[in-house]
Amino acid sequence: MNVQSNISATQSAPAEQRLVSETARSLKLQGLNKHYGPFHAVKDLSLEIEPGEFLVLLGPSGCGKSTALRMIAGLEDITSGAMVIGDNDVTHVLPKYRDIAMVFQSYALYPHKTVAENIGFPLKVAGASPAERDAAVKDAASQVQMEDYLHRYPKELSGGQRQRVALARAIVRRPAIFLMDEPLSNLDAKLRSFMRAELKHMQQTLGVTTVYVTHDQIEAMTLAHRVAIMRDGVLQQLGTPTEVYDNPANKFVAGFMGSPPMNFIKGSLSGGTFTSAYGQVSLAGYADHDNVSVGFRAEETSIAGPDKGHFSGIVFSCEMTGHETIVTCEMDDGHAIVRAAKDYSIPMGAEIHLTVDPARVCVFDESSGVRIRPETA
Amino acid sequence: MAYRAPRIEDRGALAKWFEPPAIGAMAPGTKIIVYSLLAIWTLFVLFPIYWLLITSFKSAADVNNGPFFIPFVDYQPTLQAWRDLFVLDWQDTIRAYLNSMVIAVCATALCVLIGSMAAYALARITYRPNLVTILIFVAIAAGVIYTAFALGFDWRVSAAVGAALFFFLARAIGRRYKIHLGNGDILFWMISQRILPPVVVVIPVYMMFQSVGLLDTHIAIILTYAVINLPIVVWLMYDFFDSIPKDLEESAQLDGATRIMTFREIVLPLSRAGLAAVTLLVIILCWNEYLLALFLSTTEAQTMPILVSAMNAGERGILWWTMSAVIIVMIIPVIAMAAVLQKFISKGILLGAVKG
Repeated sequence: MNVQSNISATQSAPAEQRLVSETARSLKLQGLNKHYGPFHAVKDLSLEIEPGEFLVLLGPSGCGKSTALRMIAGLEDITSGAMVIGDNDVTHVLPKYRDIAMVFQSYALYPHKTVAENIGFPLKVAGASPAERDAAVKDAASQVQMEDYLHRYPKELSGGQRQRVALARAIVRRPAIFLMDEPLSNLDAKLRSFMRAELKHMQQTLGVTTVYVTHDQIEAMTLAHRVAIMRDGVLQQLGTPTEVYDNPANKFVAGFMGSPPMNFIKGSLSGGTFTSAYGQVSLAGYADHDNVSVGFRAEETSIAGPDKGHFSGIVFSCEMTGHETIVTCEMDDGHAIVRAAKDYSIPMGAEIHLTVDPARVCVFDESSGVRIRPETA
Repeated sequence: MAYRAPRIEDRGALAKWFEPPAIGAMAPGTKIIVYSLLAIWTLFVLFPIYWLLITSFKSAADVNNGPFFIPFVDYQPTLQAWRDLFVLDWQDTIRAYLNSMVIAVCATALCVLIGSMAAYALARITYRPNLVTILIFVAIAAGVIYTAFALGFDWRVSAAVGAALFFFLARAIGRRYKIHLGNGDILFWMISQRILPPVVVVIPVYMMFQSVGLLDTHIAIILTYAVINLPIVVWLMYDFFDSIPKDLEESAQLDGATRIMTFREIVLPLSRAGLAAVTLLVIILCWNEYLLALFLSTTEAQTMPILVSAMNAGERGILWWTMSAVIIVMIIPVIAMAAVLQKFISKGILLGAVKG
């Protein structure tokens, strides 16, 4: 697979202005592998995360992202490869010596301890004096607006509040690396988007190095400085959300990122023209290829008149969402989704013509899914 | 025929009696049946205790001329049995009582301590014992016992040779075979020890304690009780530890806690209800155990069940009145303990641990 070259192309993170905490450390993963018996869960994963960076590990369930996070945490042993935090090789080091904190999907609050005891537990274990502990607990609790709940038990809190307590327990110790395993997935939709903004704000004000695992590409797009997309244990692409969205390395990434995801039409390329059963578009600079798939995003597609469009299809549904109308067309094996103005309306079953931006479409090898780029750029 | 939704006016006589009149209510017919059954069951359960109580206040004549059911009406209560028990033979009674207490408490403590540690290990650590190595061990152990006891070799020599042979064979042969057992097999092996009827092992256990000179001592009975109840503790506590979310322990581990600390700070408080239930169960089993105590004790380590059964072996025939008094004395601590431990066996302690 042509993955490595894509990674190196986007390896350097943008040098944007970023607050970095004194305790934040860099994290290097060098060729991490994880085998469970014959099952190869994580394959040769290499990443470099800068101090204070927010990196999101994104992928569908079972892609190895959680395993990767658990290896970083030290909850799973590393089959082969190396892992460095700051300047220390921690590949085989016990979790307690890694100086990491983790927020679990389930929050993992200790049910028999109060909020204050929960937040203070890492400090208690570390042997901090009660006075020190008290001050740190109050400080951490105030960062997540939970100072009024210190004497409650987890069972008396709502889901969002438990989430905050779990966050407070993770930040109370000022860890070198902050790990989060799908922390928002147990919240309802409204609270989730609210907590997402809170998380982003908190990560930036604290300046902690963060590795965040999710299967939700919106979380990845909104939170990350850089996104690492994984599939079947293999890193597919690493880059800023914009890079990953606009310039996907392969068909999987293109189909995974964005809501709605990229639309695809199968066909062939010859003489600088893409031809499919649903129409054609001239794509200059591409070599001839029998079996390709052309991808285009909903927002880069417009609905055209009968003779002007590149592709045509049958309307499957037309949904008004409030600020826009989403038109789904039957095309190829699947559906193509197009955005239209809110007052646009078209009956189901009508023929619809679409115009794409030839400069913005992505071409993929249909059999391998690898991105094909124009030979003359 | 077209389907028609059932209507309340169409109810038949049977439905009127046995269909709940409203959601959450109980139908009158059901109510009568259920409460009658409960009343019968209550009588069935409580009558023996009532009978014990009144019998303990009867004289020999009242028992033999009976049955008399109501004190003061049918017969005149007397304290004769209680006087026999606590004035005449008070040494025997008190000794058996103390023996039972000491043995039950010590055996339970030992059993719950070891059993819960084993259960925790089984719930959290994956073991892969090699089947061939186990078989080699069993064969060699049998060989050592045979040579030492049947052929008359010095047992120290046998044991040393056996140990050497085991390590040699384990490395030479055992490692070649990759047939591994898992935690489930270990757990099943443990519970299988409890399937065995105790009467099968009574003679070997007796001979074992005889050869080390521990017959009729507390230590022999405590060790035996602790061992026979281990499978129950391991089995029940395994389930309990297994239900504690792993996330909690992993979180504690990341927070810097050692395994012992995690066990003490997180696991133990969360399994208090399970430990209380298991403790209660084991202590009752120890308190009531008869067969092994019969073989392992004669006078010094005699327990309450043995004392009770001794009542029907007296020269004066079966002393029903004294026996009743002893049994009442015997069940009081169990009831008291159940009442105390009940508070700990409360559900919902894990609530709020992991789900929103």
